[in-house]
Amino acid sequence: MTTLLTVLLGCYLLGGLLPLCTSRPHLQNSLAHSSAAAGGSAGIALGLGGLFAAQPLTISVPSNIPYLTCALRLDPLAAFFVLTISLVGLAASMYAYGYVREFTGRVSVGLLGSLLNGFLLSMTLVVLADNGFFFLIVWEVMSLLSYVLVVTEHERRGVREAGLFYLIMTHAGTAFIILTFLLFAQESGSFSFEAFRHPDQRLPEGLRSIAFFTALIGFGAKAGIVPLHVWLPYAHPAAPSHISALMSGVMIKTAIYGLIRVYFDFLEGQFPWWWGFTVLSVGAVSALLGVMYALMEHDLKSLLAFSSVENVGIILLGIGAGMIFHTYGLDELAALGLLAGLYHTINHAAFKALLFLGAGSLLFATHTRNIEQYGGLLRRMPWTGLCFLIGAVSIAALPPTSGFVSEWLIFQSLFLSVQLPTLFLKLMLPIVAAILALTGALGLACFAKAFGLSFLAQPRSPQARHAVEVPVSMRIGMGFLATSCGLLGLAPMLVVPLLDRVTAPFTGVTISGKVLALDGWVVAPVTVEFSSISTPVLAALLVGAAGLGLAIARLLRKKTPARYSKTWGCGLPLTPRMEYTATGFVQPIKQVFETIYQPTVKLEQEFLEQSKYFIRHQRFHSTIEPLIEQYLYRPVVTALLGAAERLRVIQAGSLHLYLTYIFVTLVLLLLWAG
Amino acid sequence: MSESTQLGSQLVDLCSVLLLLSCFAIVAQRRLSACVDLFALQSFFLATTAALVAFLTGHRHIYLAAALTVVIKVIVLPRILRKVIERLNVSRELVMNINIPAGLLICGGLVVVAFFITQPIIPLGYLLTRDSLALALAIILIGLFTMIARKKAVTQMVGFLVMENGVFLGTTAAAYGMPLIVELGVFFDVLVAGLIAGIYTHRLQDAFDSVDTSELTVLKE
Amino acid sequence: MKTDVQVMLQIGFVVMQLIMLLALSPFIVGVIRKVNARLQCRRGASLLQPYADLAKLFDKQPVISSTTSWIFTAAPYIVFASTVAAGLLMPVFISHTPLNFAGNIIALVYLLALGTFFLILAGLDAGSAFGGMGSSREAIVATLAEPAMILSILAIALTAGSTNLSTIVHQSALLEGMVLAPPAHLMALAAMFIVTLAETGRVPVDNPATHLELTMIHEAMLLEYSGRYLALMEWAAGIKLLVFLTLLVNVFAPWGIATEATPLALATGVAVYIVKVTGLAVIIGVIESMFAKLRLFRVPELLGSAFILALLALVFFYTLRG
Repeated sequence: MTTLLTVLLGCYLLGGLLPLCTSRPHLQNSLAHSSAAAGGSAGIALGLGGLFAAQPLTISVPSNIPYLTCALRLDPLAAFFVLTISLVGLAASMYAYGYVREFTGRVSVGLLGSLLNGFLLSMTLVVLADNGFFFLIVWEVMSLLSYVLVVTEHERRGVREAGLFYLIMTHAGTAFIILTFLLFAQESGSFSFEAFRHPDQRLPEGLRSIAFFTALIGFGAKAGIVPLHVWLPYAHPAAPSHISALMSGVMIKTAIYGLIRVYFDFLEGQFPWWWGFTVLSVGAVSALLGVMYALMEHDLKSLLAFSSVENVGIILLGIGAGMIFHTYGLDELAALGLLAGLYHTINHAAFKALLFLGAGSLLFATHTRNIEQYGGLLRRMPWTGLCFLIGAVSIAALPPTSGFVSEWLIFQSLFLSVQLPTLFLKLMLPIVAAILALTGALGLACFAKAFGLSFLAQPRSPQARHAVEVPVSMRIGMGFLATSCGLLGLAPMLVVPLLDRVTAPFTGVTISGKVLALDGWVVAPVTVEFSSISTPVLAALLVGAAGLGLAIARLLRKKTPARYSKTWGCGLPLTPRMEYTATGFVQPIKQVFETIYQPTVKLEQEFLEQSKYFIRHQRFHSTIEPLIEQYLYRPVVTALLGAAERLRVIQAGSLHLYLTYIFVTLVLLLLWAG
Repeated sequence: MSESTQLGSQLVDLCSVLLLLSCFAIVAQRRLSACVDLFALQSFFLATTAALVAFLTGHRHIYLAAALTVVIKVIVLPRILRKVIERLNVSRELVMNINIPAGLLICGGLVVVAFFITQPIIPLGYLLTRDSLALALAIILIGLFTMIARKKAVTQMVGFLVMENGVFLGTTAAAYGMPLIVELGVFFDVLVAGLIAGIYTHRLQDAFDSVDTSELTVLKE
Repeated sequence: MKTDVQVMLQIGFVVMQLIMLLALSPFIVGVIRKVNARLQCRRGASLLQPYADLAKLFDKQPVISSTTSWIFTAAPYIVFASTVAAGLLMPVFISHTPLNFAGNIIALVYLLALGTFFLILAGLDAGSAFGGMGSSREAIVATLAEPAMILSILAIALTAGSTNLSTIVHQSALLEGMVLAPPAHLMALAAMFIVTLAETGRVPVDNPATHLELTMIHEAMLLEYSGRYLALMEWAAGIKLLVFLTLLVNVFAPWGIATEATPLALATGVAVYIVKVTGLAVIIGVIESMFAKLRLFRVPELLGSAFILALLALVFFYTLRG
């Protein structure tokens, strides 16, 4: 284990340093990405090993700085997240080998590769850190590295703004995390996590609630929960696609890790019911708003970023339900909720990264992210198309894929609210289930749009018409994740025991024996009589039924092959302009939910002079109002700017005046201290 | 509880639920005449509930209240309202303050609220109609909501009458009805209110050429 | 331990259920068409016409649009497979259906959603405006139906104490005599019924008999299909209708379903099932003739009502208990 850990750290470090020692792009590329891939493989092994280890692995390197020890601890929770990070890291580095060619000449390939290694290293250290101080340092390194990666293409104006926005939000979040840790440190007198979780040093009730909120805000800002998500749809898409995949797939999961660590480990899982309910509500709102804005987005990568907000919400639904059950001592249900949340965490990491890599391939092939400019790409890029389809079906939670299993488990834990003692929660959890159902259905529409309009029908732009399939290394990266998605979906009997080892220390019960019935072929929380699914059997059924359809079609038809002909276009030759656009596709949804979208439509028409029935040209402009930014952020920003404006009075530009300020402050401070 | 009272209680619940459902139907309905018809239907359910309660408890005066409900709310008032609609020549309410799906959701929320409020009281009751109290409160709230959400005077009148139905159900549920004299008074009040509202609607039509009560905001200038 | 005989018996049930689903669905479509025709004072086509239609379509040479990808030809099989698989999960004539363990009612709903997903893709693939229009509308209808469906399912599940269809059906079938259905059950039934109309594309949400571009939803997505592909799609639509009708009759009126595997019980189960489903099909036919199709943007009102009904069912389940 220690060896694996050393290999992992060594690979990432080498991968971070070596590419900077040479100036040949090709060598830089191979060095950086092969060591990142090696690190990822070691991480997968380490994660699996950590999950099965009887005792957590701890390593501690003391330092001269007070309170800081570089302590690492590999307990099952950390191991699970190491596994998730490494899984996506491995795929992203394989993919990056081909993908960075996109950047040759514009950005140093070596620098990009080295940053990728550093980013992977910092994320791994975040989940391994066992000291508050150390955690904050690697957390900050992770944030800064991701900022640098976001602004890779800094020559574009939007990218710089996105980066700045991200930097501000992530630092505000970090401030809250520091606050959380300070609360614990004040009570325990040490920054070590060991002291935080020590039962003798319990925080007083009031401070516990404050710690709950500061952690929720601090980690929530990174996870992108509504209303702290506003930076995410700008920052994630701005980065190179394999980095987007890492940010959306994994980096936001480190925040989930932080939440679980604080709530279930440091606060010992003892909380009032309204904590769980708060997490649940935040999750429900994030899920719904995330998917609703994703649906309206026509920039493929922004769409995926918004959908990350949705999925973080879904994860929080599982965790929130688990927290509520935990409050009432229903340990097995708590374990189920938590397990469902974690299952969705790793699923989302796999399929969101896959989709981002797919989006990257489209960007690579067409040089645009606008869905309206795609079309017909399945015929031109069959492998990318297939991988993207697998990702889309998984994220839409359709059986028998991975997203289905985890969403189904979350549904079950929400349904089991019947065992809760209070009427309020008994009613609220099913309503949340209905919101989840709405989210799922909107997600289906969203990814039907994302896949259907990008890959099907005729190309809508010259770029799409001339697109060709991406290089092999990129396809391998995507294929690896697509296989992982399939495995996560079809083999819950392999995944559930792993997750059970993560939740067992927090809830005190192991449930994998109960959840997996009939030799593991069936996932059945509670009992088979209550509810059960079996994705392998469902998959077999689907294949069987499709085979039956094929057989019937064979039996009943004449031996005439199909004829190919043009699509009927009302007698006109079919052009791509006749296709439904992404805007048109979501128009009904926009209109039905206009309370949330508040759409404004502007139509400018210029008519022929001879007749007003003939239009010379027209412009159609349709926007939606981002509610949260409009009503929450804009007032704050306006107030801040106003305050700054007023403070300008004391800015005279005179050096002497400033010196006077310092002098007066100094004197006052001295007086106050004396 | 014996077998028959159990069944009776369930029947009362069922009738109250139908009352509540007709409320939702009114909220979801755009056609004014259909709103009035639904109100008549609701009043009929109310009378049935009252009669059931009278039968099950043996309180004779509730029969009278039920009969009055049939006469006034199922026959007379709807007739007045239909006449008003006919004369005004408005059949549909196209613009509302709150659109229908949102209105339905809000009403769903109101029902939940009503149940939460009455939750501590209901177990204290011993009457077989105790569950109806929550439903009655829900109906009152929805009636009030209808008056807020709709713009046409006629539907606002229907909202008011729905509220009154809720109050009636509430009194029946909580205390097997009010003393007879109070009930008679209430019925006359409602009848008079119906007449006044009818006249008021006409005046509104004369003054503004519309029965849209939002036109009344003009009066402040 | 299960003996071989029992295993054979279980496999037999699965095959029987499969055959019933496949064989009965065109008949149900025929019944609804017949009822519509009679109510319009027409004689209408024979009840067996849909079978002839299917046979004809399978026999015809399909024309495939040259702009399409493999999704277009694969979609009919996937839609057909997902619908059939969903049908195999639920009890039809016997309350303990063998494949029930593979998925509960949520899985069934999501299997149908898998079909919807590929149907939407298929509509988009041909590249004509009609297909896109149908897909776009299908997306909104499916989206709005989903929460109402899940909530009403939950209300039913709470009453039965299970989300497993066999358990739900078995328990309510064992209740002796006619019990006064609690309000919660009635409302869940009403909500489920509205959802059924929406999900299976019946009037007032969609009109399966029209090919008018302004109104069609399901037909618009199938516009480019022909031959065996169209046959599979149509058949799948019929099976989907039958799946929903079966859910309604077996969950809300499970009387007569076989609760044990004796020949007599099975025979009764099959006979009663066919009668019940046919009866419900007649009701749907009557409703289709009574109402006009709603404008698309009025559909949210209908499905919103279904959602509210389901929500009330839930509230009443917890608060009204005698």
